[in-house]
Amino acid sequence: MPPKRKAAAQTAAEADAEGWDSDDMGALSDQEMYDDLKKNFSIADKKRRTIQRADAASFIFKHDNLDQPLKPDAASRPLWVNDDGKIIMESFNPLFEEAQDFLINIAEPVSRVSRMHEYTLTLHSLFAAVSVGHSSKEIIDRLERYSKVTLGSNVVAFIKKATSSFGKAKIVLKKTLSYIESDDPAILQRLLRDPTVASCRADNTDGLIQEAAPKIGVMAIPGTKMAAGATQIAQTAAAEPQAPVDMIASLREEDDDEDVAKVHSFQIRSESREEVIKRCQQIGLPLTEEYDFNNDEVNANLDIDLKPHAQIRYYQEKALSKMFSNSRARSGIIVLPCGAGKTLVGITAACGVKKSVIVLCTSAMSVVQWRSEFIKWSNINPDDIACFTAESKAVFKGNAGILITTYAMITSVRNRSYDSEKAMDFIRSREWGLLIADEVHVVPAKMFKQVTYAVASHAKLGLTATLLREDDKIGDLNFLVGPKLYEANWQELSEQGHIAKVQCAEVWCQMTPEFYTEWLRSPPSSPKNDIISSLNPNKFQACQFLIDYHEKRGDKIIVFSDNVFALQKYALKLHKAYIYGGTPQNERMRILENFQHNPEVNTIFLSKIGDTSLDLPEATCLIQVSAHYGSRRQEAQRLGRILRAKRRNDEGFNAFFYSLVSKDTDEMAYASRRQAFLVDQGYAFKVITRLEGLNQRTDLAFHTPQERRELLMEICLAKDADVEKEKIEGDAFGSRFANGGRAKKGAGARRTAGTLSELSGGQQMSYIEYNKSRNSEIKGKGVKNAFLRKLNSSTANAKKKAAGGG
Amino acid sequence: MVKAVRGVMVKCDASIKAMLIDIDNKNHNDFIIEDLDEEHLLVKEGKIMALKNRLAQMMKERLKDPTEEIESGKEN
Repeated sequence: MPPKRKAAAQTAAEADAEGWDSDDMGALSDQEMYDDLKKNFSIADKKRRTIQRADAASFIFKHDNLDQPLKPDAASRPLWVNDDGKIIMESFNPLFEEAQDFLINIAEPVSRVSRMHEYTLTLHSLFAAVSVGHSSKEIIDRLERYSKVTLGSNVVAFIKKATSSFGKAKIVLKKTLSYIESDDPAILQRLLRDPTVASCRADNTDGLIQEAAPKIGVMAIPGTKMAAGATQIAQTAAAEPQAPVDMIASLREEDDDEDVAKVHSFQIRSESREEVIKRCQQIGLPLTEEYDFNNDEVNANLDIDLKPHAQIRYYQEKALSKMFSNSRARSGIIVLPCGAGKTLVGITAACGVKKSVIVLCTSAMSVVQWRSEFIKWSNINPDDIACFTAESKAVFKGNAGILITTYAMITSVRNRSYDSEKAMDFIRSREWGLLIADEVHVVPAKMFKQVTYAVASHAKLGLTATLLREDDKIGDLNFLVGPKLYEANWQELSEQGHIAKVQCAEVWCQMTPEFYTEWLRSPPSSPKNDIISSLNPNKFQACQFLIDYHEKRGDKIIVFSDNVFALQKYALKLHKAYIYGGTPQNERMRILENFQHNPEVNTIFLSKIGDTSLDLPEATCLIQVSAHYGSRRQEAQRLGRILRAKRRNDEGFNAFFYSLVSKDTDEMAYASRRQAFLVDQGYAFKVITRLEGLNQRTDLAFHTPQERRELLMEICLAKDADVEKEKIEGDAFGSRFANGGRAKKGAGARRTAGTLSELSGGQQMSYIEYNKSRNSEIKGKGVKNAFLRKLNSSTANAKKKAAGGG
Repeated sequence: MVKAVRGVMVKCDASIKAMLIDIDNKNHNDFIIEDLDEEHLLVKEGKIMALKNRLAQMMKERLKDPTEEIESGKEN
């Protein structure tokens, strides 16, 4: 990869000369541009050293580090820095705490298991490091100090390159005007030499605007002790006398981290903002977005403060302090586990900015939740919170307020009703201080871009628990929202009792021979195959056994099954309540309330609708019967259901997470893939091959071979349409037309198909119409017709019963 | 007249047994002499290597290797 390596080794200035800014680059689409950027900066694909000797485990590793000699005092240093930017740290080292605080700033955590932590230096993490005030010299020096081996020249070059190009120039909105700001005038001059950027410049003077930089770290997060005296500090910082320039320069040479510096800026036209940002990314000088909300006098202030009883936890403070590090709001993503108080982080950020806030969530249900959380934690006037959903299209009356909506509402391309069009105009026409994007990982990049074009916001805050996607699109969020500002350590939080301690187990269930024969017979990865492995009688028994065991302990249990057919089989056989996509809203509420308050209802079965939006703090045990292939995110989100367990602070309390896996099927491979994320967060999955006491039980379901065969027969007789995975995201119509006649059988689909067939034969229809009107007069034929209809409906009913009743 | 066939007893998991029977069925019952119980089979002695090969091939085809790198798990 010669071009990449060259690029990484060059300084920014050289790169400029090499023609990164050749004109044809401007024609690239955004997607290509991102890819291009990724390619230019990728630290991977450095030289691949050959493996020195092969042993049983060496095939796992791409290369070893035998040519990096250890320092003499290596034992006392906490980490290794590999040539590819990976950092391996010993968590038992005395210097661990210190090194971890540093690493979390400059690198991304990859895996944090109990004794060893793995981080990786990425472009974005270094970008974030610069934006919180680390200089490249400091990063290299400190890494060198902690490292057991001498830093490779690749790594040093990469750090220098990344830090020199990123975060040097910022785009700032001041009084709603956009300025490009930098503490080094040379960088601005370089930008101005670029024709595109120069053409977007708003002021025509040659010089740059100079002013004193704001002091870093004066922003007090509301809800912390520092908040009380914050206002005074901010004032003194602003009034600080300006030191002579040359003195500053010499100071800066000695200590790059010194923040009493001058900033230079030039103004750009607001409408060409996007253009400038893109252009700057192309020429290797991406701009950081920051919002100086304290000095924004144009947008009305919002009267919002945290209530006194709202105490934010230390990790939430850490996360927010990175967002507000120099009393400006910086765009970025905060990653906290489910149940660790993401909403409160969002609300606190809103209280910090004190401007109009727009909150985007994934569903109407969480819109309602966000609203009630805002009212619960802050003193905001409830009239200032507006919800923009399909049901309510209100906007707030005052000059500033909070608007909560869903991604779908903002990006909808269908014709809108008059009310929602009016609300959209309202959203488009104003400036928003802060945009909070909840569950930011689920939003496709394209959709998010639409959001950012529709909503003019000064700062963006993304919140998520699982910053990962199975398609490699997560990197795009770095450009669309901002770098990852903070990622919490799950194990640390559970040690401290902020989230529940969870025991994870994977239970291997032997397939019965009949089921396995059938599994072998049907084609790989077909829906029928999934259902055979999830309805494996041994798994069924294991599930029943675990439910019994945990109900006796007084646990509240949630059982997850992605497959609705299996879900109904399980729930009906075991006489438990179940909820899936088709359950009516009032029935859902009734079941959930019973689960929470009724001591008789200790177990509920949920399809994948329960993965995210349900908040059930009573649940303490979770059993997973079938799942969505190898989705790491689903596994983590499901675990999140029990992380907020109410009883988590009881002495010796553990929540339980069981994943039931049918042996020798695809589920085995999927299961290990799904666990990858949680394992990286330090969770250990115990493998249980045999449940003690299961064989002695004779009262379990499907105990006799006869019953098992009947179950298998039912599965085989079930139609493909019935066993298919549940589709929730509005896509229910896609398959109906493809299925043709088969759709007739479903209760909802029958009517549609009937209409269609009638419509297809126009003549036929008129003939029948004609006949019908006469039939009503002729008795004999009428009876026959009614009889046929009755016969039809009774057979349909019987079929429905057979499919649902078990 | 009594006919004797030399055989090897194979002890395996129920699922592997299902695979072996599947192989046997597809090859004119060439391999298995007797299906003993859930975990035991009697297999013709001379065919044991061929059966092993076929089983290995079948497992490779049907079962995903968990240590394999994951390239394209699509979601949403």
